[in-house]
Amino acid sequence: MKSLSIALSLCLGVVLGSAHAAEPKDPDVINVGAILAMTGKADWYGKVMSHGAQLAVDEINQKGGIDGIKLKLVIEDHKGGIAKEAVAGMNRLINLHNVQALLTSFTPSTLAIAPIADEKGVFMINGGGVSQAMVGASKYLFHNRSLSTDLGRAAVSRAHEMGLSRMAQFAWKTDAGENIVKVVEPYWKDLGGSVTATEYMETNATNIDTQVAKIRASNPDFVALWMFSPDPGIAMKRIRQFGMDVPVIGVEYTPDVQKIGGKYMEGYQFVADYFKPTEDNEWGQHFSAAYKKRYGEAPEFYAANYYEGVYVIAEAMRRARAKGGDWYHGEKIAAALRDDPTVPTVYGGDMTFSKSGVAQKPVALFQVKDGEAVFQKYVKAQ
Amino acid sequence: MDLLLQLLVNGFINGCHYALLGVGFGLIFATTQVVHFAYGPIYALTAYIAWYTATALGAPLWLAVLIAAAAAAVIGPVTYLGVYRPFQRRQSSDLVILIASLGLLIVIENLIGILFGAGSRVIEGVNFSVFLWGPVVFTGVHVWQVASLAVIGGALFLFLRYTRFGKAILAMTDNPEMARIVGIDTRRVSIAVFAIGSAVAAAPAVLVLLKDSATPHMGFHAVFMAFVAVVIGGIGSLRGAVLGGMLLGLAEGVGLWGIPTEWQSSIAFIVLFVVILLRPQGLLGQRT
Repeated sequence: MKSLSIALSLCLGVVLGSAHAAEPKDPDVINVGAILAMTGKADWYGKVMSHGAQLAVDEINQKGGIDGIKLKLVIEDHKGGIAKEAVAGMNRLINLHNVQALLTSFTPSTLAIAPIADEKGVFMINGGGVSQAMVGASKYLFHNRSLSTDLGRAAVSRAHEMGLSRMAQFAWKTDAGENIVKVVEPYWKDLGGSVTATEYMETNATNIDTQVAKIRASNPDFVALWMFSPDPGIAMKRIRQFGMDVPVIGVEYTPDVQKIGGKYMEGYQFVADYFKPTEDNEWGQHFSAAYKKRYGEAPEFYAANYYEGVYVIAEAMRRARAKGGDWYHGEKIAAALRDDPTVPTVYGGDMTFSKSGVAQKPVALFQVKDGEAVFQKYVKAQ
Repeated sequence: MDLLLQLLVNGFINGCHYALLGVGFGLIFATTQVVHFAYGPIYALTAYIAWYTATALGAPLWLAVLIAAAAAAVIGPVTYLGVYRPFQRRQSSDLVILIASLGLLIVIENLIGILFGAGSRVIEGVNFSVFLWGPVVFTGVHVWQVASLAVIGGALFLFLRYTRFGKAILAMTDNPEMARIVGIDTRRVSIAVFAIGSAVAAAPAVLVLLKDSATPHMGFHAVFMAFVAVVIGGIGSLRGAVLGGMLLGLAEGVGLWGIPTEWQSSIAFIVLFVVILLRPQGLLGQRT
């Protein structure tokens, strides 16, 4: 009886062993999903993010794909962060295209699809959405951009450095805006500062005069803008038109912001992710040149993040495939990245994803001069 | 006190904006009984037409506004003849026409995105003076918002009161059946009010374009505020639409004096609920 047990154990061991070493079960083509703002007020984001992602997919395919399997980018439109559009897009990606890994953007849409990702086991990487609320929203969600709360803390650190103490906050009435207020306010008070006003605006508001009037009446040393493109342009314009000449510090600046704010953007300071292809960064220089050649403009960090996001997915898939078997599942791709969370970054060197799924990246302080964002220095995202 | 004064002025300026929207929307609603929600995207479309005319074609701003208003005066009747009129001839219910207007709203919004792109559009290089009046600040665009209500609203008032065609519109507003019986060509009047009401939208639309920017979805908020202004003022009363719009603007401005601005978008609903509760026919409406 004992020898029979040993024989069965040996057989089982052989079976399990052979299963472990099984050939990887590959799909014919790997559809990489992307849920982006392709239309709507914020379509600029969708344009640059999709450009970056498509360039990465084409480059990887030119180099033979993932161990010979070609990638295909399938883009869905959440129309500027609309949750129901993101959910519909997510369902199409999973049901029609068997997507196991995707690029996501914007906080509301990412939060809306997070439960589906958890249920279906889909790997997601966010290079655009900035809200702290996204951390832990799905066990398969990773971030290769600094979150807004980190940027907000870096922004008020700058105000502290400038010797300012009375802050008025003007925030989006969204999860992203509210989270910055929630996290930055106690941090600012710990630095010895005070808050004179906290005002909110809807993302598509056409009238913010009341908010700006209340901010002006609170007599702050500076105004912090916790909002995203294109609204910092509208806010900055109105703040200056209302006769306030105090420093304004934010966490976003795009060509749309400049276009709307016009001459009133002069002096605006902001802290943001920053892609700079330095001489010692060979990959970054290659990306910058290839992007310029294809799209006729220099890439900024959103394009860089989504370009990099595709490479992160590809690397995680390679690692998952190396383990063999039925590897083409989001949870296995995520597990492969968790097992070894360090990957190369187009910003130079390597980046490591923390347990919360967020990769730390350099952030920079800029000031608008003559209609251009001028790099001041790198600052630490707290 | 300085803040209250500023909020009063802001409220008055916004009130003028809402009132003008209410006049255009209310004229169509009162005369044809069509809840023309597609008024919102037509308003947005006029901003885009002005933007295109001024930037791509290089026309002066005043000409861009006139072209936008003329385009709206054509598009408005087209929506009536192409969408609402066929339903009315089939004696479809108000609900069916309401649904058709919502469908039209979505179609025109998407059409704007296809024709002009979906991003924000601005006319660069147009700067307005900033005026300081004691502790109160306002800009040249604000002055134009007030002036446009005075000029357009005043002209419309004179037209309706003192011209034969204007009186026909008022008669139809009062009682469409009776107007038809006494020989008024109600189809022609309906086409005219769609043209006039839509053209009125051009002024506030272009001013928002100059103040901030134009987006394909800017019309939804506009038509919503116009609708609320009309209901508050009393359906069928253009003076009511002006009063409703002013009340809405002032409530939005002054109401936020004591409460956080995150409540801004709720104020219109609160005013609407209070008025419907206390005076269902609206402030200047007739009880039927």
